[in-house]
Amino acid sequence: MVTDTAEGAGTGRGSRADGPAAETEDARGSIADTAAQRAAKRRLAAFLTYGGLVVAAVAASFPFVWMLFTSFMTRGETLRYVVVPASVEWRNYVRAWSEANFALYFSNSLLIAAVQVGGTLLFSLMAAYPLARMQFRGRETIFLIILATLMVPETATMVPNFLTVAWLHSHSPIPWLNSWPALTVPFMASAFSIFLLRQFMRGLPGELWDAARLDGAGHVRFLFQIALPLCRAPLLTVGMFTFIGSWNALGWPLLVTSTQTWRPISVALLRFVEEAGAETQLQMAGAVIATLPVLLLYALIQKEFTAGISVSGMKG
Amino acid sequence: MNTSLKDRVTAWAFMAPALLVLGVFGLFPIGYAFFVSLHHWRVKRGPFVGFEHYHRALGDPLYIALFVLSLGLFCAVRYWVKGKSLWLRVTRIGLEVATLFAAGAGLLGVIGSGDSRLFDAFKVTAFYAVCAIPAEVAISMILAYLLFKALSGKGFFRVLFFLPYVTPMIATAVAFRIIFSPHPSSLANQIGGVFGLGSQGWLFESRSVVSLVLQAFDITQYPAWIDAAFPSMALVSVVLYNIWVYVGYDTVILLAGFSAIPPHYYEAAAIDGATAAQSFRHITLPLISPALFFISLIAVIGTFKAFNHIYIMRTPGARDSVDVVSVAIFDQIYLFHNLAYAAALSLILFAVILGLTFVQNRVLGRKVFYGD
Amino acid sequence: MVLLRCFLGCCALLQGLAGCAPETVEVVPEIDLEAVDPSGAEVVFWYQHTTTREEALLGMIDEFNRTNPHQITVRGEFSGKYSSIYNKMMVSLQAGTLPDLLVAYQNQAVVYHLADGLVDLAPYMSSARWGLSAQARADYIKAFLDQDFIDGAQICFPPNRSVEILYYNMDWLEELGHDRPPRTWDEFAQMCRAARDQPFSLSRNPEYSQGFIFEADASRLATMVFSRGGDLMDPEGTAYTFAAGQVREAMVLMQQLTSEGAAGLLSEPYGDQKAFAVGQVLFAMRSSSGMPFVNSAVNEDGIGFRWNVAAPPQSGDRPVVNVYGASVSVCRTTPQRQLAAWLFIKWFTEPEQQARWVRASNYFPARRSTARELDSYFAENPRYRIVYDLLDYGKSEPSVPGYQAVRRLIEEAMVEVAQGGDIDGILPRLEREANATLEEF
Repeated sequence: MVTDTAEGAGTGRGSRADGPAAETEDARGSIADTAAQRAAKRRLAAFLTYGGLVVAAVAASFPFVWMLFTSFMTRGETLRYVVVPASVEWRNYVRAWSEANFALYFSNSLLIAAVQVGGTLLFSLMAAYPLARMQFRGRETIFLIILATLMVPETATMVPNFLTVAWLHSHSPIPWLNSWPALTVPFMASAFSIFLLRQFMRGLPGELWDAARLDGAGHVRFLFQIALPLCRAPLLTVGMFTFIGSWNALGWPLLVTSTQTWRPISVALLRFVEEAGAETQLQMAGAVIATLPVLLLYALIQKEFTAGISVSGMKG
Repeated sequence: MNTSLKDRVTAWAFMAPALLVLGVFGLFPIGYAFFVSLHHWRVKRGPFVGFEHYHRALGDPLYIALFVLSLGLFCAVRYWVKGKSLWLRVTRIGLEVATLFAAGAGLLGVIGSGDSRLFDAFKVTAFYAVCAIPAEVAISMILAYLLFKALSGKGFFRVLFFLPYVTPMIATAVAFRIIFSPHPSSLANQIGGVFGLGSQGWLFESRSVVSLVLQAFDITQYPAWIDAAFPSMALVSVVLYNIWVYVGYDTVILLAGFSAIPPHYYEAAAIDGATAAQSFRHITLPLISPALFFISLIAVIGTFKAFNHIYIMRTPGARDSVDVVSVAIFDQIYLFHNLAYAAALSLILFAVILGLTFVQNRVLGRKVFYGD
Repeated sequence: MVLLRCFLGCCALLQGLAGCAPETVEVVPEIDLEAVDPSGAEVVFWYQHTTTREEALLGMIDEFNRTNPHQITVRGEFSGKYSSIYNKMMVSLQAGTLPDLLVAYQNQAVVYHLADGLVDLAPYMSSARWGLSAQARADYIKAFLDQDFIDGAQICFPPNRSVEILYYNMDWLEELGHDRPPRTWDEFAQMCRAARDQPFSLSRNPEYSQGFIFEADASRLATMVFSRGGDLMDPEGTAYTFAAGQVREAMVLMQQLTSEGAAGLLSEPYGDQKAFAVGQVLFAMRSSSGMPFVNSAVNEDGIGFRWNVAAPPQSGDRPVVNVYGASVSVCRTTPQRQLAAWLFIKWFTEPEQQARWVRASNYFPARRSTARELDSYFAENPRYRIVYDLLDYGKSEPSVPGYQAVRRLIEEAMVEVAQGGDIDGILPRLEREANATLEEF
């Protein structure tokens, strides 16, 4: 690997360990380019690169900065469209937290997400395995049908699914409505997850399977003892996407929960936003509170998450 | 391939839980929607009416038939008429053009005789997709490439770019609704003021962006179709929101794709004297094409299904210029209480998404490079 | 191929099953109300109240649960705003998972009723054992009860009402040289223009100064039309009358004032209340239930001017105001729970409870004798008294099915007008489209 030694890109921190750290040299022109010219080109490239990234970062984050600022304002300041608050009103957060009982809803969302992620990982892994590594009639057709479920509009699924869940609620020993089953089971298999896992597993070397066969391992053992540990990265990816989806899901939880026992934070936030209708600063405080956990989670696992996407191979 | 019975059973057993869930909660709704759409169905089920709702939505069955049959013929010609000889090629092209024309005529007939509200909604959805997707993909390509080239701070930028996607939509949509309000001192107008842009209506503006540009140049007399043929400012504001949310998601995926390209390809190219542009075109682009294809597919499906944020950002001022098909369907259920018609529209939307995905897969999928 | 056939077969099977699934509840045979025993029944109540109102409501529910002689337990569940509750009901009606009692606007209740989801409360009101005495019956403001009596059935019951009133900035009005709120729409227009030209002295953003902010909302239009002696529908409630003179006048005034810059069009939720609270707008026309917010906003956020409320400008000698408010409806569940729900409503609307509810919610009571309990409250809240006196002059918006969709049509038409559209083209079109919705039902 060629390491870049130009001053422009280096910031004295050294190269980071994630991903290929190298930037290949711009090989335009012949060796006749002087070192100075090359250095100048690298500086320009670095300037453009970081310049572009900073502009994008500002564009991506300024609404959040606004949200943050607004959450620290007094009501009077929001009424007068002030941009930067005069002082930090932590009161807003205190009020939002206590009025909206966010503690309960946090734990609800966590539980729901945990169950949904667990179920999704298990079922999707199990389903992706035959689709990736086994041959049987109808394999491709089933896969296409699974993918088709991605395209069904939400407006078409809401009412029938509610009917199904209501029916299940009245015919099952455990309650469905207003409880975790209705919130998690409908999403425990996701075509998206199956797709990602299948792609990854197709990339696993065939010798692995042959060796396991020789050792007398059946499919179950192979999947859970050999393939599963190898799938750590895409599983993390699937887990993260599922977590985000579960945390932010709004339409369905709104429909199936009327009591606050299992109300997730997205519904609580909606209610809070509608309640605090004319008090923008409270709305934004609530929004910030609801965002933080997922953000923290992502910040923690983002390296592995990115790695997971790449090795699951957006290849054919 | 001969697979043992035991293996086949195992395969289906493995897939069973997922298939059960997907079948009950993903496919049954389609069947149910179809059932509902065949009746008169307000809140309770009414009498069976067959395809009446589809007639109302899509118009004269003659045109529908023309459209469907022509498309079928087109596919058939594509599939069967193969050959290298000049005569065959000319015939094929001729037939393809003819069938496409017929399909076009059928489509026009459908649009003319069907429900105009539905086709307005499709028009808005098309505007939305056309404005959002190319911009989204282009910007994320650039950002992913820049991020790939950057040496340090990658993680920081990644978190920042992913932030919009991770935040609950209710929070960001409400924030955007306030930022893009037409009040003269809303944030968007204040920023616009810095760039010399006057106070705009943003989410409240139902006139098209082109009309606004013409107005800026003091051209006040322009044909009425300009407003109808271009997206409104309100829709553009929603598109901006959409881009803002999903660029981070796309960038992260593309970045992962970039990272997976083995660097020795670039080294080899450098040794052979390739320029940056050349190595981009012949190495980067093909190897990133699967990821690119993936995100554009997801983007198309997502844009056509889009609902939540559009509903939140809808204002009376936008009139119906942001009403995409999902919103129109929602209105049918909750404003007009017409469940059956809404179900029919949902199925039509589903068919359109299926068709688009299929076409996209065929046309663009061929260009994806799967070697390694 | 085989698989495809299997799949289609499954779909067909499921469709068949769906067909077998029970529709909404069948029509219940006549029950003898006097013989029903509500003991121990549990009532699920969907409401939309929040913050202080919710606390007060829950407190009252608690008291009912403790003190009612039949051990009825009411369980209150916050279920979102009016529209969310409506959405939920639409789905619940199909699944058969109805609550027992819920808050509903009249036009929403009509839809529920069409689906046989509600119970006619008239028998309950006139029941010998469980109903209202003649005196109590007469105590309810007749207009409110009538508003909830639709299609031959009492499908909802009024626990409270609000009035749409004019909020005005007294200090600013005095600065402009007037000592009382506008009595006619002409005076209103004059004052708006004056406000545009002379900003409020205490406003911190004098560059934004207007008389009024119009909201594209059917209720605002209704208020303006009622005050001119008109209506949105014909007296029989069979057709919409948007091309009528009063509607036209209201629209013309709106268009005129907005084009002159003396008024603006509402562009964000609660924008007019916010602008009023910071002295950027002279008038606001809103529900009386917004008084607490305006009060706290005006005084707590530093500007602190004197303000008051009045009936909106009128054309006739007797005022006509838009009185609205969500009522409660009892769903068709079991006879015991239905009766239990009614008993709760009956208790809730007794004068003592009404007074308590009024104090907490700032809504207006549905029974006249409540006024006896509110003497001190009137003394403390003179503005409340002003509005209370208007209750007798109330008129209500249409309560026909499909009104929800017509509200949306009205909103769009108002925006078009405010942005300079051709009123004589817009109004007939609105009337046509609105009447078309009536045909669908």
